[in-house]
Amino acid sequence: MSSSPSYGPRPWTFYVLAALFTLFVIFLYGPMIGVLILSFQGPSASLVFPLRDPSLMWFDELFNPRRTGDVVGAFYRSLPLAGIVMLLTVLVSVTAGFAFRRRFWGSTAIFYTAIASLIVPGLVLSIGILVTFRYLGQSASWYTSGLGAHLSWSLPFGLLIMFAVLGRLNPSYEEAAYDLGATKWQTVKEVVVPIVFPGMIAVALFGFTLSYDEFPRSWLTVGSKNTLPLEIWTMTTNVTSPALYALGTVTTVVSFIVIAIALSSIILIQRKRSS
Amino acid sequence: MNKTATKTESGEIRLVNVSKKFGPSYAVQNINLTIPHGSYCCLLGPSGCGKTTILRMIAGHETPSSGEIFIGDQMVVGKSPVERGTAMMFQSYALFPHLTILDNVAFYLKMRGVGRDERRQRAEEMLRRVQLHHLKDRMPAQLSGGQQQRVALARSLITNPRVLLLDEPLSALDEFLRLKMRGELKSLQHELGITFVHVTHTQPEAIALADMVVVMDTGRIDQADSAKEIFNSPRTPYVARFMGGQNVLTGTVSQISDKVVYIGHAGGGTFEATRTDMPAEQGKPISIAVRRDRIRLRRGSGASGVNQISGVVEATEYQGSFVKVTIDVGGDVFVANVSDADYFAEPVDRGDAVTAQWAAADVHLLSKLDTGAAGDPYANATH
Repeated sequence: MSSSPSYGPRPWTFYVLAALFTLFVIFLYGPMIGVLILSFQGPSASLVFPLRDPSLMWFDELFNPRRTGDVVGAFYRSLPLAGIVMLLTVLVSVTAGFAFRRRFWGSTAIFYTAIASLIVPGLVLSIGILVTFRYLGQSASWYTSGLGAHLSWSLPFGLLIMFAVLGRLNPSYEEAAYDLGATKWQTVKEVVVPIVFPGMIAVALFGFTLSYDEFPRSWLTVGSKNTLPLEIWTMTTNVTSPALYALGTVTTVVSFIVIAIALSSIILIQRKRSS
Repeated sequence: MNKTATKTESGEIRLVNVSKKFGPSYAVQNINLTIPHGSYCCLLGPSGCGKTTILRMIAGHETPSSGEIFIGDQMVVGKSPVERGTAMMFQSYALFPHLTILDNVAFYLKMRGVGRDERRQRAEEMLRRVQLHHLKDRMPAQLSGGQQQRVALARSLITNPRVLLLDEPLSALDEFLRLKMRGELKSLQHELGITFVHVTHTQPEAIALADMVVVMDTGRIDQADSAKEIFNSPRTPYVARFMGGQNVLTGTVSQISDKVVYIGHAGGGTFEATRTDMPAEQGKPISIAVRRDRIRLRRGSGASGVNQISGVVEATEYQGSFVKVTIDVGGDVFVANVSDADYFAEPVDRGDAVTAQWAAADVHLLSKLDTGAAGDPYANATH
């Protein structure tokens, strides 16, 4: 008989799940890192490993296009579009979130109608929007039909996040503000918005990224000028140079910068409150 | 500009036929209650009895479905808390998590457009008063429960209210802090001289604090009286059971005179009680209350004479200064709180036959017949 205490071995499921998670991480980040490395490919213009004579020439190619498409133009469409989608998503989600805090007649129906656009296939929606615009005699462009298509995707997410955020907002904060003489507007400005601000950043982040890399709902709705995901897709069919990888790297970096800004501002707020 | 409440205005609260409906059901119904200026009033009852609804209607966070509420000589239904001169301290304290302690306390002044320097100075003064000045730059989440409560108090008091409303203010604190803050609330009320209305479901808290205790049962007031009256002379079986410390017995009036009522108990005994303004009628059933700590116990089952009842000891519980003896009297529970000296002079144990007796002066007639249904959350408590 052993006299040393036994704390029990880890169950076999631990190793299975750890292996699964490792696979998942490799699958997620491996290709991304591969693209990142290959975007520094040298003049050999090889699309596959190994990396020879690393250089920045394909980034240069991206911004001074000779053989690639209008990447810079696409970027300057995608960025403002994502920005507008972000602002509108925050505005609508927050106000709708507050409306839904009180049960009102038809609230359930409205909620399900809004959420339903999450399950409508994006490509089908894209076709539908184009057909409708044609029928109305309008031409599709990123700031009209494209914007609407993107909002149909980002708003339900924003709304669901706001439900979660406002569900945890104790109504006594508003009552306390009223008790202390705050008007409705002062209550919103001085109490409610500051408290739910991290949630609003999360909504903004979702609105931005969902729009910035949206493909299916952009497909037929942005008109003759492509947004970035469409441009990348076009390039995969007719550009056979590492400029494609350079573009992948640049767009990923932009996404990461946006996420980093959003998350660090949330962390900053939390730290200010609890440190 | 609207009138600001000052301490010189009366903080008397008067509720006249106040009802509040949520959907089809009444939270409170036909409440009539006057809370004198400068008193410490406790609204006491189990959860769901409507006590918080009354508090919130006085505060202006709930509008009555019908009836009128007066504070001083002002009808306040439809008015804002600031116009009423009330301030409320919330159960969760509701300190704004994004503001420092100082900014929390200064919030009211900021809303009124008081300049930054003046409001900081006044808020600091208020924080000094609750001995939290050294924490003024902390955030609420960094404070202990007791400190948060004091901040909440300071934030309410800076409005200079004539009525302070407290929604279960001590329920979030541990036992030690609860007793400490209880004392502080009482002395604060004494010092300020304004009306305090305090909602609680804990009867020792109400008895310790209140000049006036309002015992509530499902939307109605059962009794509103001084703490001593409520504890000593409950008017209904519900109040007697809820306050604890009483045995409720039911029998039939066998004989009645100007001064004395005799009651025949189903178990065979006769109880004698002093006649009061409670309704008593020959041949009709009636309930009485007998204080648990006025009972004398002796061994043996021979109940003879009035105001005695025999049974078998079911349990004994040592409580320090007294021993709680639970006796099974023909299926009903009867409790005697015997002083430790008396108990250890003649100890009884589980299974012993005992007879309890008491003086006629310690019997109180109740206005309603005991249904036994009234919730008694303290049936097993030590009181």
